[in-house]
Amino acid sequence: MIKILPKADLATTIDQWRVEATVYAPVRQEEVVGFQPLTGSGNGCFTLDANSRYPPKSLFLPQSEALFRVAGSDLEPVEGDLSERIVFGIRPCDARACQLLDGVFAGTEYTDPYWSEKRRHTTLVALGCTDPCETCFCTAVGSGPFDSRGADVMLTDIGEVYVAQADTAQGEALLSRLQDASQEQIDASSQAQAEARAAMARPFELDGIRETLYGLFDDEFWYDVQQPCLGCGVCTFLCPTCHCFDIVDEAQRGERVRNWDTCMFQIYSQEASGHNPRPTNVERTRQRIMHKYAYFGELYDEVGCTGCGRCVRYCPAGIDMRQIIRSSQSRG
Amino acid sequence: MEKSTQNPYQPMPMYIARTAVETEDHSLRSVELAFQHDSDRERFFSGYRPGQFCQLSIFGKGEASFGVASAAWEGSFVRFTINKIGVFTKAIHGMQPGDPIGMRGALGTWYPVEEWKGADIVVIGGGYAFTTLYALTKHLLDPKLRQEYGDLTVIYGAREPGLFLYKPEMKMWSRRDDVTLFQTIDTPREDWDGLTGYVPTVTKELAPRADNAVAFVCGPPVMIKFTLPVLNELGFPPDRIYTSLERRMKCGIGKCGRCNIGPKYVCKDGPVFSLAALGELPAEF
Repeated sequence: MIKILPKADLATTIDQWRVEATVYAPVRQEEVVGFQPLTGSGNGCFTLDANSRYPPKSLFLPQSEALFRVAGSDLEPVEGDLSERIVFGIRPCDARACQLLDGVFAGTEYTDPYWSEKRRHTTLVALGCTDPCETCFCTAVGSGPFDSRGADVMLTDIGEVYVAQADTAQGEALLSRLQDASQEQIDASSQAQAEARAAMARPFELDGIRETLYGLFDDEFWYDVQQPCLGCGVCTFLCPTCHCFDIVDEAQRGERVRNWDTCMFQIYSQEASGHNPRPTNVERTRQRIMHKYAYFGELYDEVGCTGCGRCVRYCPAGIDMRQIIRSSQSRG
Repeated sequence: MEKSTQNPYQPMPMYIARTAVETEDHSLRSVELAFQHDSDRERFFSGYRPGQFCQLSIFGKGEASFGVASAAWEGSFVRFTINKIGVFTKAIHGMQPGDPIGMRGALGTWYPVEEWKGADIVVIGGGYAFTTLYALTKHLLDPKLRQEYGDLTVIYGAREPGLFLYKPEMKMWSRRDDVTLFQTIDTPREDWDGLTGYVPTVTKELAPRADNAVAFVCGPPVMIKFTLPVLNELGFPPDRIYTSLERRMKCGIGKCGRCNIGPKYVCKDGPVFSLAALGELPAEF
């Protein structure tokens, strides 16, 4: 299903969506763009010129989330808010990341009800990237600026209108009241997509990356890579595919809570005996990179990185994932 | 494995049925947990196999992973033998019969003895890591099961006699003719007339026959490290040696991330691995 969403009608369309669902969109607050529920009408309240600093995975895996509440001597599951949600303006890399994380949270023997229920009640309206950032590298990891695999709807900006393609039943339901796109508009969107793809830098090729990294497992390479690292964990907290969490009891609130955690912290794998299988930043950095580029692929046959570039953009020490992959390939 | 529709993070309500101090230094205590709900008990025992672990839960202290130290046929309880080492284990050591406690599981893989019917079984353990091997041995001593296996040999080492677990049971095993028990302590003592020496050395001297045997090994990392080459020399191939690994865990179901060795999660793909399977993983253990 291919429809059009004229920019002039965007505010009215979103207002219509807001009747039946909470609409989240990127909102700029003090220079930082983040996904927020829209409370007012009109275009002015959201911004589509930059991706959010925090990945929208937090809509499904909140940075801190109560799993259980104490009830007598039992723990009762916290149901959470399961009203319908529409995420407008999510970028293809982040929508794709949610799809990859479905593999972790829903695709194995155990289904995570907290993640899955929120996913089930959410429609992702992705905005393809006609003007990718310098740090983006989605095409290098097998994705692209119009990769629609994780999205219910993919929007292509062709000037006055967005061409809106729905690939799922949820997406089709959302677009049903919009006008069909003309052949001319469809052609214009294909061209815009092709141009965006061609304009993307492709900093590395993925061929043989798993074997390359396994070959370097015991190499000095990891020592060199981690040298500038401060161990702050920003790369993992801002990563749309990082999913590690800790479970802790907030006794005063009477809640069992899960919080984002990071493999870049020493305490993460520290055992009660004092033993730590990843005692230094060298092993921890190796874990971070190899999880994305080697281990994830063995489990799900996909690279666990969508090339959003946040780890590159926000690393305070200037560590660059693209450079790490390239050096591994010239080393290996 | 069957996909569960239950909330996998929700502990079952249990209570402490019995406790027992295991070692002379009081650092190890066994607790036997009983089920509050029959449905939980039935579900647990329909799936549990020796080698698996559970997440125990005390609200306010959190959760921690412990290997199960009992066989299903022993009764409607689940035993854990717990070393007092941190906040959580200290809390368990302070608990009394009747106290409530939460439990998730059983989780993870098990010692796959059902694949080795007819074989001789060699169990090699050291220190307080003997717990799941104890469960395995008890399982094999089930009168209904014992005749389905060949010789059952147990080699069990501890630093000193007072640190052996399950002492009354060990006494009984040493008198039985359907299990051969060798207990060894690190250095000779006047009050000890059994074997002395480290587990790898003793295993080498005892030289259990490998031609129709499977070995199950669990102990401190240094014991495992030196026992594996001995077993190799004795003729045990890597696919007939199983060991159990430990890692810090939170979720226990392969989602929270931390316990991986390469692409495998110790909680979900382990804790029991064959040496052959471990050989295919990056050497991060």
